[in-house]
Amino acid sequence: MNALVLASSFTDVKPGLIIWTWITFIVVFIALRKMAWGPLLKSVEDREKNIVNAIESAKRERAEAEKLLVEQKTAIAQARQEAAEQVRKTQADMEKFREELMGKAKKEAEDLKVDARRSIEEERAKAVSDIKAEAAKLSIQIAEKLLTERLDDPKHQQLAQQFVAELAQKKMPSA
Amino acid sequence: MMKLKNVWLVLLAGVAALGLNAFASGHDEGHGGGGGPKDAAKETADFILHHVADDTEYHFELPFVHFPAFHFSALFGEKPGDGLYVERSPGACSLPVADTFKPYPSLGAFLNGCWDLRPTKAILMMWIAMVLLFTFVFLGGKRDQNGVPKGLAAHVIESLVLFVRDEIAVKNIGAEEGPKYTPFLATCFFFIMSINYLGLIPGFFTGTGVITVTAALAVITFVVTQVAGLKSAGPVGYVAHLFGDVPLLMKPLMFVVEFVGLFTKPFALMVRLFANMLAGHMVLFFLLALIFVVHVGAAVLSVPMAAAIYVLELFVAILQAYIFTLLSALFIGQSVALGHHHHGEAHEGHH
Repeated sequence: MNALVLASSFTDVKPGLIIWTWITFIVVFIALRKMAWGPLLKSVEDREKNIVNAIESAKRERAEAEKLLVEQKTAIAQARQEAAEQVRKTQADMEKFREELMGKAKKEAEDLKVDARRSIEEERAKAVSDIKAEAAKLSIQIAEKLLTERLDDPKHQQLAQQFVAELAQKKMPSA
Repeated sequence: MMKLKNVWLVLLAGVAALGLNAFASGHDEGHGGGGGPKDAAKETADFILHHVADDTEYHFELPFVHFPAFHFSALFGEKPGDGLYVERSPGACSLPVADTFKPYPSLGAFLNGCWDLRPTKAILMMWIAMVLLFTFVFLGGKRDQNGVPKGLAAHVIESLVLFVRDEIAVKNIGAEEGPKYTPFLATCFFFIMSINYLGLIPGFFTGTGVITVTAALAVITFVVTQVAGLKSAGPVGYVAHLFGDVPLLMKPLMFVVEFVGLFTKPFALMVRLFANMLAGHMVLFFLLALIFVVHVGAAVLSVPMAAAIYVLELFVAILQAYIFTLLSALFIGQSVALGHHHHGEAHEGHH
């Protein structure tokens, strides 16, 4: 073999080989795109989309949870404040009620005292008058016993009563 | 440690066997029918060239076992005029090739009207690589209900495809257009890688070590690149870009530069892949040839060195597939950018 023939074994361009290389490449390309790259890339894209979605939703849920937490904290603070106010109000109410009750009780007690005093006064007056009447009756009976015959007429009796009345007026004017 | 040692032993034995069987069978056949003993160095060189060049027949070799050559191309037509071995005019294949086409005999014959369209050894290797690739991708197609890959093959495929998408397509073409070109780029990567690796299995041939194959692949990238540019910039923008953004007088010169640039890019792709794949195998063969040409004792040096080169080739096989894909993505990215660049300028003009 001379040098040219040696070189030609490397540089030889075969039209048939070019065509067959193209055909083979196109067959490989179409088959792999349909059977391998298409499904593979699609599943990878789906997975990537899923991951992005998962991250997004996790972020969203977290933001929501944080918002809820803030809301809850506010609600708790508000409830606490309301409760404190309620307690304060109740205490004030109770104070007022107590005062009212006390006032009422005092007044009732006062009324009772007044009533009692008046009834005592009445009873006393009645008792005094009873005693006066009884005294007059007794005096009359005594006088009767003393002056049975002579002093049983109405004139004497009247005298005796007058005497008792005068007595009462003189001795017990303050009663 | 033990494991690593075993791997090296197996590798050394494999490389030695590969070399031995190749040369043994080569010497059996004997090239040429000359009476006297031939120059050993020249004979070895011829033998190596025969093994790294494309051919119509395929010779599968095992140590000390002689298989007859498989006349693959003959399946598609045995002699001129049969099947895919088209003869445009009677006797066209017997015509001498013009001197200009001496380095390209097949092209010369084609121009003479001798259309040898039969698949060759390189195509046979490509088809084997294709079947292996389909098998691998089929095995790696298992996913669970969430679409998560199941098994080693599935994880390897997915990580490689995602690498092509995120590190090659998106980085060079852009996040918007990049994913559209991912199937094409992934096919380039896996197809070239399969062919490269098949060639590293002892007994098989490297399809990408044939310049016609890399030229065909480069043309595919070229077409995809130009279509991307046309789609992105529109026919007017595409042509306008060829004349550049320069004063009117400079435009013809610019056109020449840009037009040549269109073809230098795929040309570089073609040569890089071809030269890398061919050179590695030739270095392997020549290192082992020392045993037969210089002295049997050379094995002490040449076999470990050949094993080291083989390991390097294992890396180069994926590296070259990656580089081809990366550069394709880069060129497509430049073409896609034509349209965006144009739009950008138009926008600036408005302000």
